[in-house]
Amino acid sequence: MTKRLFTWGGSFPSSAVGAGAGASNTGFMAMKGGSATAIVDLLEVACSGTGSASTVGCFAIRYSSTLGVTPTALAQPGTDGPMNSAGQAIASPVVVYFAAATAPVISNAVTLPTLQIGINTFGGIYRWNASPTQQWTTIGNAVSGGESVLWNSSTFPNASATATANAQMLYEPY
Amino acid sequence: MNKQYGYLFVDHRASPGIPEDMARKMGYDPGLVGEGKLFEGDVLHCAHCNQPYIKNHLRTRERYYCMGCSGDYICDMCNHERLQPGYVHLPFRKIKELVGAGDAVAVRLGSNPLLIPTK
Repeated sequence: MTKRLFTWGGSFPSSAVGAGAGASNTGFMAMKGGSATAIVDLLEVACSGTGSASTVGCFAIRYSSTLGVTPTALAQPGTDGPMNSAGQAIASPVVVYFAAATAPVISNAVTLPTLQIGINTFGGIYRWNASPTQQWTTIGNAVSGGESVLWNSSTFPNASATATANAQMLYEPY
Repeated sequence: MNKQYGYLFVDHRASPGIPEDMARKMGYDPGLVGEGKLFEGDVLHCAHCNQPYIKNHLRTRERYYCMGCSGDYICDMCNHERLQPGYVHLPFRKIKELVGAGDAVAVRLGSNPLLIPTK
């Protein structure tokens, strides 16, 4: 299907694995499959620090062990759309959000992967591109694989400060 | 034939960079993510659990490759799983095919995946 870009910028309060992402049910970027058979390939993650003082943002991506409850409909400064203006939406669109009634809980299972995206948000820039067949993939829409969350981790490796950044996730849903 | 790797770009050329202790915990070489530094590197992906890894060019231990996955790289944890008695080869690509076709539901991914057949 058409590749899409999910972007958001703002404050990312740090939180631990095994706990809700961010703080006050916002301050993260989550992406959940639209159905039990949905497959979402995450092809690129980029993050640009917008801090006004030296702060290390320990951004990371993991699957959630409890899905976010009642995701808030995407609104500015978040955006999500096809990179091809003529692209068609799939029948069950991917659910992307940065706030919810209850934030997703980051899985603390050691057997689940972690994508580290640490930078100093005072001028730091991060970009990760997957090579073909080596994408970060979300499968279905259940826990431990159906929802990926980008957040500021206080577990890897102990970020304690709120980091501010603009981030984007380039993905392709099936 | 060399496999194509992912690409990692970490730019602190206009930034104070990441302190050494935190950089080590993140898996970075501290000398490459400090003030004024630009780090570009290859990223390996495990064919079984899909975990991305920054390629460590200083590694002297053997890396593992799965002949059942056309010689793709697999991580240390998945290689350990692969060597256990009763192991069933279930690469990530196969999981995608099964779930995408509606033949199974993924309960858990990672190096010890759990699928439930739907048929």
